[in-house]
Amino acid sequence: MTVGVTELLERSVELESLSSGFAAAEAGPGGRLVLLAGEAGMGKTALLREFCQEAGRARVLWGACDALHTPRPLGPLLDIAADAGGQLGAVVDEGASPSEVVAALTSDLRRHQPTILVIEDLHWADEATLDAIRLLARRLDSLPALVVVTYREDEIDRTHPVRLLLGHLAGSRVVARVSVPALSLDAVAALAAGKDVDVELLHQRTGGNPFFVTEALASDGAPVPETVRDAVLARAARLDDPARALLDAVAVVPPRAELWLLEALAGEELQALERCLSSGMLNVDGQAIGFRHEIARVAIESALPLDRSVALHRAALVALESPPSGQRDPARLAHHAEMAGDAAAVLAYAPVAGKWAARVGAHSQAAAQFARALRFADGLPPEERAELLEHRSYECYLTDSILDAVEARRSALDEYRAAGNALREGDAHRWLSRLSWFAGDNETAEREANEAIALLEALPEGRELAMAYSNMSQLRMLSADGAATTEWGMRALTLAERLGETEILAHSLNNVGTAELVRGDPEGVAKLKRSLELSLANGWEEHVARAYTNLGSTPVQIRSYTEAEIHLDAGIAYCREHDLDSWLLYMVGWKARAALDLGRWDEAIDHALTVMRAPDVAAPSKITALVVVGHLRARRGDPGVWEPLDEALELAEFTGEIQRLAPVAAARAEARWLAGEDDRVPAETERALALALEVDHGGWAGEMYVWRRRVGLEEKFAESDVSDPFRLELHGEHEAAAEAWRAIGCTFEAALALAFASDEAALRRGLAGFQGLGARTAADRVSRTLRERGVRDVRQGPRRSTQENPAGLTARQLEVLGLVAEGLRNAEIANQLFLSEKTVDHHVSAILRKLGARTRGEAASKAATLGITAR
Amino acid sequence: MNLYAILRRQGWSSGAELEAAAKRSTQVADDDMPDDIRWIRSYVLEEGGGSVGTVCIYEASSPEAIRKHASLADLPVDEIIAIADTVIVRPDPEPAVAE
Repeated sequence: MTVGVTELLERSVELESLSSGFAAAEAGPGGRLVLLAGEAGMGKTALLREFCQEAGRARVLWGACDALHTPRPLGPLLDIAADAGGQLGAVVDEGASPSEVVAALTSDLRRHQPTILVIEDLHWADEATLDAIRLLARRLDSLPALVVVTYREDEIDRTHPVRLLLGHLAGSRVVARVSVPALSLDAVAALAAGKDVDVELLHQRTGGNPFFVTEALASDGAPVPETVRDAVLARAARLDDPARALLDAVAVVPPRAELWLLEALAGEELQALERCLSSGMLNVDGQAIGFRHEIARVAIESALPLDRSVALHRAALVALESPPSGQRDPARLAHHAEMAGDAAAVLAYAPVAGKWAARVGAHSQAAAQFARALRFADGLPPEERAELLEHRSYECYLTDSILDAVEARRSALDEYRAAGNALREGDAHRWLSRLSWFAGDNETAEREANEAIALLEALPEGRELAMAYSNMSQLRMLSADGAATTEWGMRALTLAERLGETEILAHSLNNVGTAELVRGDPEGVAKLKRSLELSLANGWEEHVARAYTNLGSTPVQIRSYTEAEIHLDAGIAYCREHDLDSWLLYMVGWKARAALDLGRWDEAIDHALTVMRAPDVAAPSKITALVVVGHLRARRGDPGVWEPLDEALELAEFTGEIQRLAPVAAARAEARWLAGEDDRVPAETERALALALEVDHGGWAGEMYVWRRRVGLEEKFAESDVSDPFRLELHGEHEAAAEAWRAIGCTFEAALALAFASDEAALRRGLAGFQGLGARTAADRVSRTLRERGVRDVRQGPRRSTQENPAGLTARQLEVLGLVAEGLRNAEIANQLFLSEKTVDHHVSAILRKLGARTRGEAASKAATLGITAR
Repeated sequence: MNLYAILRRQGWSSGAELEAAAKRSTQVADDDMPDDIRWIRSYVLEEGGGSVGTVCIYEASSPEAIRKHASLADLPVDEIIAIADTVIVRPDPEPAVAE
């Protein structure tokens, strides 16, 4: 630093945290990530500079997010790649996606050790940069690097994308948070030593903000400035005219201006550079000039008169159009074009910048660039404007800004209609249908789907019509209308095949296959698998994820678990590898459901909590997890049954879909019965029963009828409306129903079927079933029934922990033991069972203790002798 | 965090066994689940024939956290009850014998 603080005051704790992070990264294995938070001007950069200097021998890579209204995609990584060069530099120049950039960065980090990688000002980061940091953090446990990211804590509100990233990082063992506090009165006094100022007033006004303090001291004003802006402007006012003009020029080029650019902007005034540098207001970093701090730049920029600002931006635009490197940066050009009010330039650069941002995955910035172009698009012909609107709508859709996406798509539709382009108009209707479904507006989705088909059927057949059919099929599938799904889906399929549109083919095979699978038609599995193969071969990640999802979750809904779990496991592995988090969580939710149904309760809870703890979980995934937690609390007699079940009901009612409503209704009916509130069961099941009958789903209808019968409601039902094992119980064949449940592995359901039998032997077997599962409340209810019938010797069952097997291992420990016996290491076991490594450590030591074994090998052989066949 | 009472009836056949369990319990709670579990206090129940049980008071993020802690530390759980309110009339008397 040139002026003011020459040494860091009161930063030893923070330096210490950084050093210990670095020491850990150096010692290995695996690196660390430090989140360095503090408000603007707190001295985060100064702290890092000091730290890097102390670390000496380490290689330092440094990048910063910039303060452009729409930041450059992967901006900080461009800086870092320029420093690192090599393969990383080449990859970034090509416009690679965040995952490709991180792959190159990881291999670079592996080759050099140790590295300190700094990314500053995350509060301005583009989406692709945030993605890259998230990916990097995941791989950090095998990288010799200390990554430090800084951000202004006071500038990220609850909805800021950085919050989401912080949520993802929370709980990771490689992540530490360090926050940089304000200076104390003593430190402010030390800085002000030798100056004639009221130290207490200075401390109070500046709030101990180091930047503000040094600016105030440097402005040498007799009164302490009121705001930091005043302090900066007072300090600038002490410079001569050419120096002040140079400051203006630097201020319009965030974050820093290259020397060649400044020559173009400032001309002669560049001679004042030395004075600006020695005053400490500007500094040099490589070939670029910038303010000592972004706060100062903003203060100077905001004081610029409009005409001067426009002139400077216009000059910057011209200069950046022919840079010495020959490589134009569309994001910077679009920024200056807009600030100069140059419509033609905005329309030339903003769409290019938008497409570039979209290509590297910075979809929010892409959406912003298209919005920028649209602000200047009034003079364009309707079809060109419509094309910009389509781009904007698509980018908004990808970033979950569904309402903005709807608005842009609707405007595009109006433009196409005005231009008489029926093909594009029809396609816009199809898009609006899909977007409305996302927004939860099924009625509009329905209407738009019909309009799309009506318009497109009047034209020669093309991919737009095939997609409109497939969209209709998907809508029907989501409302569980099997016949219509197939009808529309087959039209899409035939047309897509004739046109050679493979992607639409994959889309429609998925919808039709799922509808067939719901009806138990094995042809459905074949269609879904074909959709999966096509999508895998072409790298259509979203279609792959959707195929796995339907192959995995639909069989669980119809209680066919073996195939389901194979597909869920494969799908979860695929989504983890490709970072498809929302699909991943959806499948983990169904994994929880399958584990619940199959009596693996500890595992079910682990999966459900994984879903519930993730930030930003979509409603369908959350509903499944909440239902699992509610079921288990109710069955075990644990407190807090209704919080998850009430939330699940609210979410499910909003979707209005039977596939969400039926599981919630069943869970609530069961919980009512367990709580002795039989009279509330009919109301809980009313709506789901009606819907299940409407879509002709025998499983859900059967489950609702059974619960109503169990609490004494004598209802007529049509034989064809209900499927086994529910049908059996409705006919009073409790033993047969229980047998059918046991055959598919549903032990709790089997015990439930027996719990409503009339003979004592069956009731006793139901009781034993509940006791074996640790379903305390269910066991209590059956005991009560038995006692009410005058049965005397109803005893509490044996304790769960001692009954399971000779050594008293829990179900989870058995599972772990199985993998230990297969020779897996704890880390591998953790990975396979979705547990933390520490949890596995505990299970393994409990297993050794219970088996009286000293080593893992001994445990495996003892288990074999005892006849504990794991898995 | 919420407050819960946990019944562990006839969980151990001797005081020494209980003591070993208490050590595991503290370790798991403090080392591995500090954000989810805080053991507040326990009353040891005389269950006859040398066997002992406990009533434990825990702060926990959810009933699932209590069950997970129990499974990791190898403790029995009979029942988890949410505590609605605490009324302290007198501080706990000094234990007759140190556990």
